[in-house]
Amino acid sequence: MTTTPRRVSRREQHRVGGTGAKVTARNTLIAYAFLLPFLILLVIYHTWPVIFGTYLAFTKYNIISPPQWVGLANFRELMADEQFWSGLTNSLKYILIVPVIQIVALLVALLVNRPMKGIGFFRTAFYVPVVTSFAVVGLIWNWMYQQEGPVNAVLGFLGLHRGGSFLNNPATALYAVMFVTLWKGIGYYMVLYLAGLQSISPELEEAATIDGASRPQVFWNITLPGLRPTILVCSLLSTISAIKVFEEIYVMTQGGPAGSTYSALFYTYSRAFQDFQYGLAAAAGIIIAVISIIFGLINFRLTRGGKADA
Amino acid sequence: MLETRPAPAQPDSFAATAARLKARRQQRRRLTDLLAYAVLIVIALIMLYPFYWTLITSFEPTGNIYEAKILPRAVGIRNYAEMWKGTTVPFWRLILNSLIICTLGVSLTVTLATLAAYPLAKMRFPGRDLIFYAILALMVLPNESGLIVNYITTIKLGLLQQTNPVIDAIRQYMAVVLPGLASIVGLFLLRQAYLGIPLELIEAARIDGASELTIWRRIMLPLATPTIAAFAILEFVAYWNSFLWARIMLPDKNLLPLSAGLLELSGTFSTNSRAVMAGAVITIIPILIVFAFGQKYFLKGLEGAVKG
Repeated sequence: MTTTPRRVSRREQHRVGGTGAKVTARNTLIAYAFLLPFLILLVIYHTWPVIFGTYLAFTKYNIISPPQWVGLANFRELMADEQFWSGLTNSLKYILIVPVIQIVALLVALLVNRPMKGIGFFRTAFYVPVVTSFAVVGLIWNWMYQQEGPVNAVLGFLGLHRGGSFLNNPATALYAVMFVTLWKGIGYYMVLYLAGLQSISPELEEAATIDGASRPQVFWNITLPGLRPTILVCSLLSTISAIKVFEEIYVMTQGGPAGSTYSALFYTYSRAFQDFQYGLAAAAGIIIAVISIIFGLINFRLTRGGKADA
Repeated sequence: MLETRPAPAQPDSFAATAARLKARRQQRRRLTDLLAYAVLIVIALIMLYPFYWTLITSFEPTGNIYEAKILPRAVGIRNYAEMWKGTTVPFWRLILNSLIICTLGVSLTVTLATLAAYPLAKMRFPGRDLIFYAILALMVLPNESGLIVNYITTIKLGLLQQTNPVIDAIRQYMAVVLPGLASIVGLFLLRQAYLGIPLELIEAARIDGASELTIWRRIMLPLATPTIAAFAILEFVAYWNSFLWARIMLPDKNLLPLSAGLLELSGTFSTNSRAVMAGAVITIIPILIVFAFGQKYFLKGLEGAVKG
């Protein structure tokens, strides 16, 4: 008896507003009160950097005196700066790790997706580097890469060439840092691939097996196509973060030795925080952003193209 | 009785074949399992040995420091004692800084996101969709100059001024956490969680005269707890591990969080790498504890973060 009137009025409410109370001045005020603290910080720390950073790219600015409009001078300066080009080249070289990291992460995800004893241990083990700070990871690998260190010892044990300190050698430093990125990133992409694998219906794979499909056939014709969206997201994320590589380099080599690990974003950092050329740094930031958008689109196109074939 | 032998001869041979097939399949399965284990163990060794090596070396009092080993040459706690006493690094100060930054950062980030996601998911008001898509666009837009402009903003806001030690400390802690407080990913995660809460529940409460704040606190928050927990763990790990922003910005090295301080001082005290190793081990432990307890939520949160 008591519930009847309530149910009626609830239905009325539905008619009035699809998702919530009536639109009144008071409700609007309440809604904005909930949003306000978030929005203020969002504008200051997310929107403003985009606007002011774009403006700064066309100025000379050192914080002390007001920004001075210089048009395209910063961009011209960048084009003539050899250090900027070597930074950009290294960032593009860094894309080499994208296929490696994706293939290894996918392989690992397939392995830990099997119902085997102790699989939880392996999942956790592969995830530990992901949750460790770049500061600590960088310190640890600095030690591992020492001339007398474990990496050289293992290489020697395997009968391979024993190098000097990997991070002090311009020929090896960039690849040594790349390996750390790979090592730290596998677990992250593994989790994403695991999520992707779990979204593929097991009935589909079972049905194919019953129809006589072999293991590789099931993988190529069902599992892999099912994973396409995940592969797209992962390789996109991986490409963009390769172009923007910074923290590993900041912690391990500071761009050295002899500029061999200078990345594009490291160039931006050193122009801003070592030389106080904020305008020039902002211009470099814009170029990096445009390049990562272009690579993102290429990546998207390639993966979409693959989908059309299937 | 005599008939039983020849009569089921056919089914028996079927059964035998089936058994043989099953045995073969089982054998193949065992073989692939073995292979899988072998690969997994090799990768796990590569993943874990650097941590293990750091751990055992941090317990060695002396010796050839960078040598590869499976067991420590000697075991002592001298390096940890040195950290404890703060002779290498102002250890307790760094821990305190990290704890303050994590507490401030996690509580404020979670509060802001849980508040802001509510009207976006469950209220009707003019400008809602505009705000939602504007935030969405910010997530896609690259933010390369974030570090530079945020640094300038922090200075312009006067957060790095030096007047009084206590106020300076508070201002600088705020300067560290402020840029991260409006988490777009968190907003999306929570909006997603709120969208799944039945509208009838909220409307019943509204009819009963509950204020929106009460509905948020009594209905939305409890029902979104799993997502909030996942988000809080993600944020804890992020704040605990953050070092770059603090290191670039803080003029007072005594206010650095642990991971940044460790890095800062590893350069100054490069002669005492073993103590820094002990510090690295200590830095990882809280993350491993949080991870061990919240693993289920954590991974779910991470998946949602990228999918959402």
